[in-house]
Amino acid sequence: MTVVMPEEGTAPLPALPDDRRSWRSRRSRRSSRQGRDGGRRGGLLPYALLVPTLVGLGAGLGYPLVRLVVISTQEFGRAQQFGAPAPYVGTDNFTEIFGSSYFWDVLWRSLIFCAVNVALTIVLGTLLALLLARLGPVMRTGLSVALLLAWATPALTATIVWQWIFDARYGVVNWLLVRLGADYEGHSWLRQPLSFFFVGTLIVVWMGVPFVAFTLYAGMTQISREVMEAAAIDGAGGWQRFRDITWPALKPIFVVLVALSTLWDLRVFTQVFVLQQAGGIVRDTNTLGVYAFRQGGSGDFGLGAAVAVVMVGITLLLTLVHLRQMFRQEEV
Amino acid sequence: MNTKKLAAAGLAGVLLLAACGSDDDDGDVSAGDSGSDSAELEAPPEDTEATLRVWLNGPDTPDEMIDLAKSEFAEQYPNVTVEVERQEWDGLVNRLDTVLPTEDSPDIFEVGNTQAQSYEAAGAMVDLTAHREELGGDDLVDSLVEAGTYDDTFYGVPYYGGARIVVYRKDLFEKAGLEIPTTLQEFVEAGKALKADNADVPNFSGIYFPGRNWQATLSFIWDAGGDIAVNADGEWVGELSSDESVAGLETVQDIMQNANAAPADSDDAEDYLDFCNGEVGMLMGPGWKMGQITGEDGCPGKYDDVLGAFALPGSDGGVAPSFLGGSNLGISSKSENPALALEFLKVLTSETYQTEFAEIGLIPVRKSLLGEVQGDEAAQAQATAAEVTRFVPSSENWADVEGGNILQDMGTAIAGGADVQDEAARADESIVGILNG
Repeated sequence: MTVVMPEEGTAPLPALPDDRRSWRSRRSRRSSRQGRDGGRRGGLLPYALLVPTLVGLGAGLGYPLVRLVVISTQEFGRAQQFGAPAPYVGTDNFTEIFGSSYFWDVLWRSLIFCAVNVALTIVLGTLLALLLARLGPVMRTGLSVALLLAWATPALTATIVWQWIFDARYGVVNWLLVRLGADYEGHSWLRQPLSFFFVGTLIVVWMGVPFVAFTLYAGMTQISREVMEAAAIDGAGGWQRFRDITWPALKPIFVVLVALSTLWDLRVFTQVFVLQQAGGIVRDTNTLGVYAFRQGGSGDFGLGAAVAVVMVGITLLLTLVHLRQMFRQEEV
Repeated sequence: MNTKKLAAAGLAGVLLLAACGSDDDDGDVSAGDSGSDSAELEAPPEDTEATLRVWLNGPDTPDEMIDLAKSEFAEQYPNVTVEVERQEWDGLVNRLDTVLPTEDSPDIFEVGNTQAQSYEAAGAMVDLTAHREELGGDDLVDSLVEAGTYDDTFYGVPYYGGARIVVYRKDLFEKAGLEIPTTLQEFVEAGKALKADNADVPNFSGIYFPGRNWQATLSFIWDAGGDIAVNADGEWVGELSSDESVAGLETVQDIMQNANAAPADSDDAEDYLDFCNGEVGMLMGPGWKMGQITGEDGCPGKYDDVLGAFALPGSDGGVAPSFLGGSNLGISSKSENPALALEFLKVLTSETYQTEFAEIGLIPVRKSLLGEVQGDEAAQAQATAAEVTRFVPSSENWADVEGGNILQDMGTAIAGGADVQDEAARADESIVGILNG
């Protein structure tokens, strides 16, 4: 996907009319051949080839999803978990969550947390990508390795390390702040929800930035150097070049990145859950995913499933919006 | 239904043993037995080959005791491997909910006495009513048997009991010219005095009281005449926001804010480390806390000579009511070897094994051994504290109150200076919602 995007992204540039034409014609040639052959053969083979994927998807995603929806319409407690029959309660679970002000608190909290994280991830990722493009080979390799390590660290490990860094009693942050003369002796970073989410955001963004930076950097390497040079000679500053060349060229990539980051940050679980274990007030720091899990943890799997179904709904909605945008861009 | 499942599990066991290529025909005997009967379990033959998986929680059972149990059991069943896996108390409910209904379930699991009924009610444990006598019968401590019984059926075998005691530094008391407090008020004042006296030590707690230590909080609520919730004609009514409970919680807030340096949002799982750092004058913990401080995980030799313990005094000069903690052991309904598991449980409730508990400062589950508790200061304090014990609301939904972090959240908020009345009312609302289903 990322290989095609930049090529298409360069299309609007006046400097590359040939590329554009040849790409278009290649595509039309391919599609016309497909139309002819596909129409004649018609056969079941293409569908047969799809079967393994569909079976895999069905087993891995479809079944749990169906089960989730079923449980969300049942009174499903600990006894049911251990085999008792689960009574059907229709939409009771949904009525209950939509009727509780706490659910809406959690929902808004999750959406805001997600929005802030996505914005920060994209901005920082872009800045780092620009930096990567300008650095010399040695420094670029160094930065790439650093980014790669941050990216490769499992979420659980990363969260625990960050949690130690911010530990109230033995954390290096408090130690440093105290040395600098601030009154942070034994300060608990997780106790206040706002500072809890500050730490959470730090972890989520830290882990999300590398992917964004690498992808954008890959995109930037596809932008013709001549165009950039010509623009520079014509007197365009760094910001102008970014706004008028890089941004339009990489817009499709940005769309994909924003969509993916949104999906990831909305269903963030590990970071929040582990931080809650370490400190803070659970009730004031639950996000959607954690809240769904905790409903199950407090013996009400039906309610937890209902919250999860709402979450899946929001995610699907966002995916649809994203897909629409992608198709629209392809049409242009 | 249950029998069918057991039979299926037994069959799976047979297949597994066969797959292992064992030529020994005796190998499948136990598996066959387990499938046949769920009410009465017959002791498997001595040459049974199997693996028993046992989940024990936290640092409560020292390694030496586990070795002792294993070697005793090995005399009976030399071909059985006992695998003890340690679990954290934190998040235990989630873990049990997830693993117990599956084939990965351990054969035996330990569960907090406050959480036991939830699993008994859910059908997660094997019915042991027929074997009560062999496991100790009337010699078992009543309150723990109660926690192990649901609907007149005995599932959860008492493992140990424990009341919280105060562990303190004698040298610091001497330096500040303090005596062992005889009332709750004196205890609070002593905490503040210690903190003032050691102001040069950063992060020093006169009384170490992190916000999530809800078990210790209960003593103050009960001492003031309050309670968590009471059952009025089958309906639970919240009591945390009553005047008495709030008074108790205000004392707690006073300690947390003025005598304590433990973080408002941490629990007491690692208090021994801070104690070993010399940052603690007094802490409220289970009987084995002293052993943890002087043991390998703590700081052996550092404070051994200056460590003391006493039972938390009440406002009236007597003993403050203390939360009766403890554990029950259950055989998982999914166990392939329930009969064998039962034999191991018999070892864990035996007099030899239970005497060890008494020696490390816990309450043995056999009444006949209660007089034996004399050992060190911790054990004596424990015995005194155990004179007045209280329990959380007896409901199969209580585990969900613990799982929902409600008392922990309340403690954290109170430690952070929130209004006690407001926080108590919030907690009441959540607790009553859960208890009343």
